Amino acid sequence: MYQWLDDRLSIGRLYAKAFRKAFPVHHSFFLGEITLFSFITLVLTGIFLTLNYEPSIRPVAGPLSDGKEVPAAYYSILYIDSLPFGAVLRSLHHWAAHIMIAAAFLHMLRIHLTGAYKNPRELNWMIGVFLLVFSILAAFTGYALPYDNYAFTATKIGYEIGAAAPWVGRLMSDILFAGELSLTNTQTIPRLYSIHVLWLPLALMGLIGAHLAIMIKQKHTQPRYAEKVAPGKIVGVPLFPQQAVMMGVLFLIYLAVATFIAGAFIAHPVQAFGPPTVATPAVKPDWYFMWIFGILQMIPATWRFEFLGATFGPQFWGGILVPTLIILGALAIPFLDYAKDKRRYLELPSQHPFRTSFVIGMLMFYLMTTLAGYKVDLQLTIGTLWMLVLAVPFLTGLAAYIILKAVYGKEWNQEAEGKQIGKGSAADD
Amino acid sequence: MADHEAKAHHHDHPEDPQAHATRRAVLQAAIGVGAGAAVLSTLWVGAGLVPRVEKVPSKEPVAVGDTLVFAMGAKADQEITLDDLRAAQGAALPFIIAFPKSPENVIKKDLRNNTLMVILADPARMSPETRQHASPEGVLAYSAICKHLGCTVSQWINNNWVCPCHGGVYDIHNQARVLAGPVPAPVPQLPVRVEGGRVVVAGEFLGEPGADV
Repeated sequence: MYQWLDDRLSIGRLYAKAFRKAFPVHHSFFLGEITLFSFITLVLTGIFLTLNYEPSIRPVAGPLSDGKEVPAAYYSILYIDSLPFGAVLRSLHHWAAHIMIAAAFLHMLRIHLTGAYKNPRELNWMIGVFLLVFSILAAFTGYALPYDNYAFTATKIGYEIGAAAPWVGRLMSDILFAGELSLTNTQTIPRLYSIHVLWLPLALMGLIGAHLAIMIKQKHTQPRYAEKVAPGKIVGVPLFPQQAVMMGVLFLIYLAVATFIAGAFIAHPVQAFGPPTVATPAVKPDWYFMWIFGILQMIPATWRFEFLGATFGPQFWGGILVPTLIILGALAIPFLDYAKDKRRYLELPSQHPFRTSFVIGMLMFYLMTTLAGYKVDLQLTIGTLWMLVLAVPFLTGLAAYIILKAVYGKEWNQEAEGKQIGKGSAADD
Repeated sequence: MADHEAKAHHHDHPEDPQAHATRRAVLQAAIGVGAGAAVLSTLWVGAGLVPRVEKVPSKEPVAVGDTLVFAMGAKADQEITLDDLRAAQGAALPFIIAFPKSPENVIKKDLRNNTLMVILADPARMSPETRQHASPEGVLAYSAICKHLGCTVSQWINNNWVCPCHGGVYDIHNQARVLAGPVPAPVPQLPVRVEGGRVVVAGEFLGEPGADV
């Protein structure tokens, strides 16, 4: 049997050529894999959901809604929850999305802290940034689909934030949401459904394929010790069987943990919110939008002006401008911190104090703007929040730099000397 | 490989370089026109994604002479009476979310900016401008669509009218002046009067309703 297949497909050659490819190993390298596993889980559970979901708001009544008329999309969520393991699979879809965004974010932090975005990997860093943005968009377009009052309100806010983009915003939002969100707009749900289950997953698949192909082509970065063990060579384990086994085990652990979470914490119980009504419930976005929500609460209403027929108001500053600047800044990182020669080895965060402190400062910015999202609950004033958001990241970054200098300062000089002699890839921050 | 063939081909059929250039220009023009037509037709089809605006009676804006009806709840679609407003006064939510109903009995609920709030308040506490557009009994109406991001302002916390989405607070006694939150402008007041116990629209919105983006 093997011989027959080998004659036709040259499995032996494929094995020798591709499956023996060496993969460097480090526990932080698994973050990207967890992101991929989450995506696979999302596609599989998503297929299950599409088989039972009705993307429509036509009124239906049935035993699951106690004979009351509810939108069909809402009813189909009740139906899915009533299927064997239906609620668990729907929750798994929900939590896998959270894990995917969190893992992608941590993966990005790892790349940033170890300088793995440098020449020749700038392109893959940029694809990675788009992957994160598209993942968040995919999560957002999934919000509305259960079509309960909470989902409806959250999506409505998204519509208005999109519409706050100057000149083209309203048109853009109208195309994305098929017009203004209202209780009687029958086109919104089919439009968001198509984007959520077809277009964004296709875009993500394409980008993930490119991300992996480029990673394989350029070879994975290696931990620093590899340079001492075997300079110029790849130190790692073969794709098959070692790497494949590790990935398989990790996938199973991931699935076990995610399914446990899904079973223990049922996601977004639609009955708790009921079908959409005219009244708006108090909504709080998920954690990956909380920082934007926080910034929106920090900007005084008076910060607005009109220019060439477009309004630049708080919604624009907080909802459009700040996220856009952060995305552009992320895309620019490999060019701001550019390496002329090609890099193969990871850099130690302790040897790149400015970059490390900057990343810690940005994390504090994220935490402080997230805190601003709780402005009303914690009764914080706009002034306090501005002070926290501006001062805390700066001071934390400064403190991180001072601590790094105190602990590793001596090594920096050695690194610099080593560079002058011409050994190793040293600090260039 | 391709290079070799091209050269061999050239040797076999010595051609006028001018004819080559012309052929290339024609092919390039054809490709350009084809690509352009493809892009244009894609845009033409894509333009169908822009939603159509349909004119139906239920999407007409609020007009003078409309009565106000309950937008939701047990009494949904029924006309709001002074008694209803009096009953609400002591409740946790002292106001009522309302839609306008035209004299032809069409409830205009399909235009979001027709979402209104109506409340019975104390005329003595109102600013003069507010009182001017309220009924003598103290019935006040505002657009209920938050000027910030278009949520329905539907909460009542500490005797204030609050938008649940981003914490905008409006002063109902003073033309919905913004007391707190990221709201860019007050929601417009809608002049109302009471006729035979029912709440009737007495004038146009005093400003632009809907999210201000």
